[in-house]
Amino acid sequence: MVPAPILDVHPPNGPSAGEPSTGQPKSQKAMTKAERRELQEQQRAAKAAKTAANGVNGKQPGKPKDPAAPAGGGAAKQKPSRAPESQPKSATPAMARATEKAKAGQASTTADPMASTQARGLLIFSHFGLPKPVSAAKGDIHPAIARLALQFSTFKITGANARCIATLTAFKTVIQDYVTPPNHTLSRHLMTYLSPQISHLVAARPMSVTMGNAIRQLKLDISGTDFDLPEQDAKDALCRQIDTYIRERIIIADQVIQETASNKIKDGDVILTYARSSVVEGVLLEAHTSGRNFSVIIVDSRPMLEGKRLAAILSEAGIQCTYLLLPALGSVISEVSTVFVGAHSIHTNGAVYSRAGTALVAMMAKRHSVPVVVCCETYKFSETIQLDSFTKNELAPLGDLFSSFPNTKPRESLTLENAPSLEILNPLYDLTPPTFVTAVVTEVGVIPPNSISSIPVALGRLL
Amino acid sequence: MTADMARSGDFDIYATFERFLQDDQLIISKISPPLAAILSLAEAIVKSNAGTMFELVQALNDGAEELKRRSLNPISLNAGCELFIAFVTLFPHESDNFAELKKELEQQGRKYATEAISFRDKIAELALGFIKDDSVILTHSHSRVVLKALLHAHKTKRISVYVTESRPRGLGLKTYEALTAAGIPCTVVLDSAVAYVMDQVDFVLVGSEAVVESGGLINYVGSNQMAIIAKAGNKPFYALAESYKFHRLFPLSQYDLPTHNPNILSFTTPTQSAGQDGKTATTASAKGPASPGTPPSLAVAAMTQEQIAKNPGVDYTRPDLISLVFSDVGILTPEGVSQYLVGMFAG
Repeated sequence: MVPAPILDVHPPNGPSAGEPSTGQPKSQKAMTKAERRELQEQQRAAKAAKTAANGVNGKQPGKPKDPAAPAGGGAAKQKPSRAPESQPKSATPAMARATEKAKAGQASTTADPMASTQARGLLIFSHFGLPKPVSAAKGDIHPAIARLALQFSTFKITGANARCIATLTAFKTVIQDYVTPPNHTLSRHLMTYLSPQISHLVAARPMSVTMGNAIRQLKLDISGTDFDLPEQDAKDALCRQIDTYIRERIIIADQVIQETASNKIKDGDVILTYARSSVVEGVLLEAHTSGRNFSVIIVDSRPMLEGKRLAAILSEAGIQCTYLLLPALGSVISEVSTVFVGAHSIHTNGAVYSRAGTALVAMMAKRHSVPVVVCCETYKFSETIQLDSFTKNELAPLGDLFSSFPNTKPRESLTLENAPSLEILNPLYDLTPPTFVTAVVTEVGVIPPNSISSIPVALGRLL
Repeated sequence: MTADMARSGDFDIYATFERFLQDDQLIISKISPPLAAILSLAEAIVKSNAGTMFELVQALNDGAEELKRRSLNPISLNAGCELFIAFVTLFPHESDNFAELKKELEQQGRKYATEAISFRDKIAELALGFIKDDSVILTHSHSRVVLKALLHAHKTKRISVYVTESRPRGLGLKTYEALTAAGIPCTVVLDSAVAYVMDQVDFVLVGSEAVVESGGLINYVGSNQMAIIAKAGNKPFYALAESYKFHRLFPLSQYDLPTHNPNILSFTTPTQSAGQDGKTATTASAKGPASPGTPPSLAVAAMTQEQIAKNPGVDYTRPDLISLVFSDVGILTPEGVSQYLVGMFAG
């Protein structure tokens, strides 16, 4: 081991730090620095052991290891680096002490295996946080909102459209029950009254883009309420505006989309759809009632297995259905004429954010030159750009929420639980890049995915 | 034939349409079907006895349907009709007198058609910047706008052109004659030799029947092939299209085109085709030596009419294969086409 040259910590003497024999005072400084460094490392290791026991990810034990590596191999490094650890490690004793500390740090974590596994937690998607159980209502939460939050957290109400309509309907009740306190105006105070309600819903389950857009519109309407209107009239006006929003941008939009998209279905077609989209369900039923002769392949996946309900509804209507799980997609894709999928939201760059698995279906379809049609109302547009499924997603809670197992086997044997070396991960959404989408059917027309950004501008809508 | 078309007391739109196509003055300026359709619809406005805007639009829609039904190549025609009907619907109703409004609309229609003839010059001018001196250009079949662009470029630059034969109609030969008459070096290339020639070419220039909402192109069959080969050979593929050819159609695939019918690419049962093939073989060989000037060794077999009928006349080129669309409203990317269409029809 080459005796490492003493690297000066202070930047002003930077370039000159190369000379090894900068004299005794320098090495003394380095030594005292090393001593200070040791103290810090001791404290840090102790803290790491404490936080490891508390269940924070174990990055700390790794840190003291870093100075050992550059100090050993970085003898050639003359430049004063910003990382304070590497510099004072000139003297070998200090280096040895550092590695000892590192080992000690490791030991403290391995000595407590349960703590370490909890400490690790989720390595990916950890930025979402785990789904939390709905806490007791803080503050003045309206019973309708409390009920809705419970329905959301137990996944009794799922689907972007369903959640948005349920939210708006609940807000109508809240608004009707609201009484403006004295010395306040409805247009200013109602918003502050609604905020904790919204937070309660978000705590139950992260807000969907549809809910976000609808609430934004609601806020706009509230702040635009006329001061002079008597309270009941203002509340009625707001409820009417909510009704109009639901009717125009969801119900009627869906009807237009159903008509347009069902024209793309021809006799003898084999349509493939994934999971359960309320819009696509409408499209297929509409095409069937207008007398077209086609069959449907429903692709489904755990844990939600939403496709089962869709299969039941379609076959009841008389449409010939085939039901299969996602891994079997490869065997049927060559028979498919068109793929119809729904969306949770659609972004400015044309990327489609939808149920996890949609991206796989779209990619497979593209590979086999099958057109992919996304049915999406304009109120689902998000002004953001999303490039992958990691930056924004939602994890489903563990446990048998969805009753997705057959009743013949005991539930407990089939449900996966977190074990010491096993972490269950259930992202609910994924992102389909615009290159895999052929067309997006909206109520304002059929649009290629790359031109999505122009639609709101062209229509002058504030989405 | 005229007896079939003429209806007593009724304004026959198809006859008017044909009349415009045959009009000497307009032939010189080379009117195209969509413009003739606009002119015939404009005349239909004046001749109709509709009393309200609703009735008028109804009548125009019926007229457009009639034209589409009778025409062999309805897509570009359709684009022109839709454009004019949208224009009529969105036209501000200033005058109280409905008859005056109808006159106004007819005049606007005529004005548009005359103006539209100049669109090709605008496009030729825009394309000029992309044609470098000594370019080798590949084009497909026969397109008036491409011809105009090439002749315009020839005035100031040296170009040479490969044109495909474009079977079965052989329209590429028309282009060949026009270009050689103007002094442009031109060679006719077999449809199957496009890949062979692609490496020699600087870029590909085609006309269009319609440019659709997806940003894709509908043109004579063989354009899609050329676009795919151009992409594989890393050559730019440019489409020239006047703005009245922009259509709100959105084909999801080749088989989603309105011109597609179940007969295309269908199979016949073997016993029937064997008999037919026997017939075709004899007629072909009979044809060969019969044509004057063709030595017997070069006798070419040709498809029968039934066999040709099983083949498409137009195909759809996907937007990701097209580099740019040159039009009188500007040079657009395929995504820009959709933005333009939305702005025009929804705004």
